[in-house]
Amino acid sequence: MTDLLLSQIKPGGESPFGTDEYVVNMGPQHPATHGVLRLVVKLDGETVKETMPVLGYLHRSIEKICENRTYPQCITYTDRVDYVSAMSVNLAFALATERLMGLEAPPRAQWLRMIFVELQRLASHLLWMGAFAGDIGALTPFLYGLRERERILDLFEMTCGQRLTYNYIRIGGVMIDILPEFVPKCRAFLDYFDPKIPEYEELLTYNPIFLERTKGVGVITPEVGINCGVCGPSLRGSGVSCDVRKQHPYLFYDQVKFNECLENDGDCWARYKVRMNEMRESVSIIRQCLDRLEPGPIETKLPPILKAPPASEIYFRIESSRGEMGIYLVGDGTPKPYKAKFRCASFSNTFVLDQLTRGWKVADIMAVLGSLDMIVPEVDR
Amino acid sequence: MISGEKLVQLVSSLLQQVYALLDLSAYAGILDRVVCAVVMFGFVAVFVMFLVWMERKVSAHMQSRIGPNRVGPLGLLQTLADAIKLTTKEDVRPAKRDKIPYFIAPILAFVATFMGMVVVPFDNKMVVADLNIGVLYIIAITSFTVIAILSAGWSSNNKYSLLGGFRSAAQIVSYEVPLVLSLVPVIMITGKLNFSGIVQYQQQAGYWFVFPQFVAFITFIASATAEANRAPFDIPEAESELTGGFHTEYSGVKFAMFFLGEYVAVVVSSAVAATVFLGGWLPPLHFLGFIPGFVWFMLKVLLIIYLIMAFRWTFPRLRVDQLMDFGWKVLIPVTILNILVTGFVVLLFGKGA
Amino acid sequence: MGTILGYFRNILTGFWNLVLGLSVTTKYLFKKTNTQQYPEERMPLPARSRSMIKLIYDGEKDQFNCVACMMCAKACPNSCIKLEGVRGPDGKRRMTTFKLDFSTCIFCGYCVEACGFDALTFVSEEYENSVYKRGSLLQDEQAMKWVRPPHLAPKPEEPAATAAGAQA
Repeated sequence: MTDLLLSQIKPGGESPFGTDEYVVNMGPQHPATHGVLRLVVKLDGETVKETMPVLGYLHRSIEKICENRTYPQCITYTDRVDYVSAMSVNLAFALATERLMGLEAPPRAQWLRMIFVELQRLASHLLWMGAFAGDIGALTPFLYGLRERERILDLFEMTCGQRLTYNYIRIGGVMIDILPEFVPKCRAFLDYFDPKIPEYEELLTYNPIFLERTKGVGVITPEVGINCGVCGPSLRGSGVSCDVRKQHPYLFYDQVKFNECLENDGDCWARYKVRMNEMRESVSIIRQCLDRLEPGPIETKLPPILKAPPASEIYFRIESSRGEMGIYLVGDGTPKPYKAKFRCASFSNTFVLDQLTRGWKVADIMAVLGSLDMIVPEVDR
Repeated sequence: MISGEKLVQLVSSLLQQVYALLDLSAYAGILDRVVCAVVMFGFVAVFVMFLVWMERKVSAHMQSRIGPNRVGPLGLLQTLADAIKLTTKEDVRPAKRDKIPYFIAPILAFVATFMGMVVVPFDNKMVVADLNIGVLYIIAITSFTVIAILSAGWSSNNKYSLLGGFRSAAQIVSYEVPLVLSLVPVIMITGKLNFSGIVQYQQQAGYWFVFPQFVAFITFIASATAEANRAPFDIPEAESELTGGFHTEYSGVKFAMFFLGEYVAVVVSSAVAATVFLGGWLPPLHFLGFIPGFVWFMLKVLLIIYLIMAFRWTFPRLRVDQLMDFGWKVLIPVTILNILVTGFVVLLFGKGA
Repeated sequence: MGTILGYFRNILTGFWNLVLGLSVTTKYLFKKTNTQQYPEERMPLPARSRSMIKLIYDGEKDQFNCVACMMCAKACPNSCIKLEGVRGPDGKRRMTTFKLDFSTCIFCGYCVEACGFDALTFVSEEYENSVYKRGSLLQDEQAMKWVRPPHLAPKPEEPAATAAGAQA
């Protein structure tokens, strides 16, 4: 793909002055590409003429691996699909498998899943905020975001023993019940976290430099967004209601009160604003879940060997931290999925990048890339 | 009571005796300058090392971290350790570099900024060269950096470096203008281009120029930050866009020179701001005069440097065209307006306004 | 006139918001830092931490609890557990060799959950797992031997194995 691109560029070009396109390889090792994404950028001076994402540097063939693992074993691999928001992918896979097999987790497990997925959303958005600000050049919010994220990870570690790859949400329930001190600790964290969001906003939201860099930059119009398959907070920044939690409620999202955060501008700033507001909503959802948490079993009784019905298939989607996370599973009557396909938000969000950056400056690539909240392992899988 | 003037007298009399001993009295004039320059160089080098430490500490505490605390008390020797590391490192050079500019650029970046320091008075009479066109000299000499950065960007034969070099050329040329224009009102009021003269004027007038010329102070700090390539105007090296910008391909001692050059530029700008707007060596209140003037001067310099550091660790980075916009559409109109108003007031109330 | 006023108002509000941002960072300048200086200050990990897998050794009976039922090896998604066992003179199976390759282990915890004989466990005290040679990550039963201290005796209400892991 790249060779093709490079071969198209002939020295001399068409301009009478003999100017040349300036092809810059951003990545796979580059401070702003969040991992090993490679962007082949054609430049005209500072102006971007074309951005071509080159994928595959982090491909681990997780979907293929899943075909050779039993359903519970697959959950451990879903941790690695999106390691910044592992709980969400765990949940997506667990729910899809449950639907495939006609299982239902008990209510306490559902509430616990909601708490952990929303905590995960907070953690993911915090990391995103830091990375986004870092891409734009403000380095301090990154440390602030990570500081709060550490506390969330402490809660996770206290419950399931891991800080990054949890393997906590299982088919038919959750791995283990929370400790008695979890609820007060979680409430304490929420109380600690509440005043932090205005602080970040003070640092960034109306900062004139931040506004300059993000307002009007990388506008996704609703049409472009829908046509390119943009989803999640990135699309909600364009005013398109697409929150799976609202539209196709899973777990008990229909029983808690929360707003779908929408902004109309569709620029980087709107996407930033959507995510900041989503953090507030997540805090409120977690509070409601903690209130409604009642004792009970945390997992359903599963058959000793979990087999999907023959010739069954399911596509199930949830709202992960980055957008619509869909799992497509085909069962063939064996304990292993015949086919597993992960529809990841980052992957579909990547392809709007070229349209958004054409005609803008080099620095805007970073702003747009940051605002789309891409996680490279999720792009490549 | 110690003061800068007495210190200078003491040192110069000592030097006279040394010259007499070595039978070099005939060259006293030149030797004095050489000694001054060497002392200044040593001082600035040590001060810059301290600044690197300070920046790391300030940024760390702003981010709820601790920062360097391993080498020496409070990590003070960390910069020294880094310097040793950088000097002993292999000098990695791109194979297809343009050899001469590649070699000269870091030296120029360091020397050009350093030369600005010689006209800044640390205390009354405590100055290496009290040029009567000091302000003009400092503006001329510090803009050499652009040549250094441009040649570094060009000669590295790296696409990121070249972009960084171009950005730097555009940036420094445009920010040179508001930098000069924000000094103009002070020169209009005092009628002097000499730093000591400007401080003496503030002493006689009984106020610092930061109060009547607050706008000029702010514009000066902003354009000085841009001149020194510091965030939020650090687009030539913008690490999240251009990896390292113009110094992507530099390592070892050469990188250290760019790095130190940046800090020396910060020191020079802060020293100028302290002298012109914050009264140089003057104590803030009269009864505090028992503290020597150079201590006050250094405190003011540190205050401004802190401000510049806080900018870097708080603000995002501007985009290259927005940077130009800010320079040409905000800073220059504001400074010109400020000059107009100042000129009007000076006309109305005479030179002492 | 309005645009000129707007121009200056923009500059002033922008300036004010910059000052606001500076106030946040300056506030943290004087606050307590959040850093933990790791080698000196060690973080006690929660009891549930999955930081190292150990084979429980019964000091009284002078043998491992493991009976080589192979449930852990079956549950492991990465097949990083290799073990063998023989039937002893008393008719009970005993583990003879146990090898866990920590270079491919992902600490998912399925082996510990699948174990029905209280033979495998996670310990939270030992979390400095880095080694200089990749080969030293392949640990055998002697390296993984762990005698359960008395205060960590398994509580009856918290069974060592939960059902979900045993599915695999």
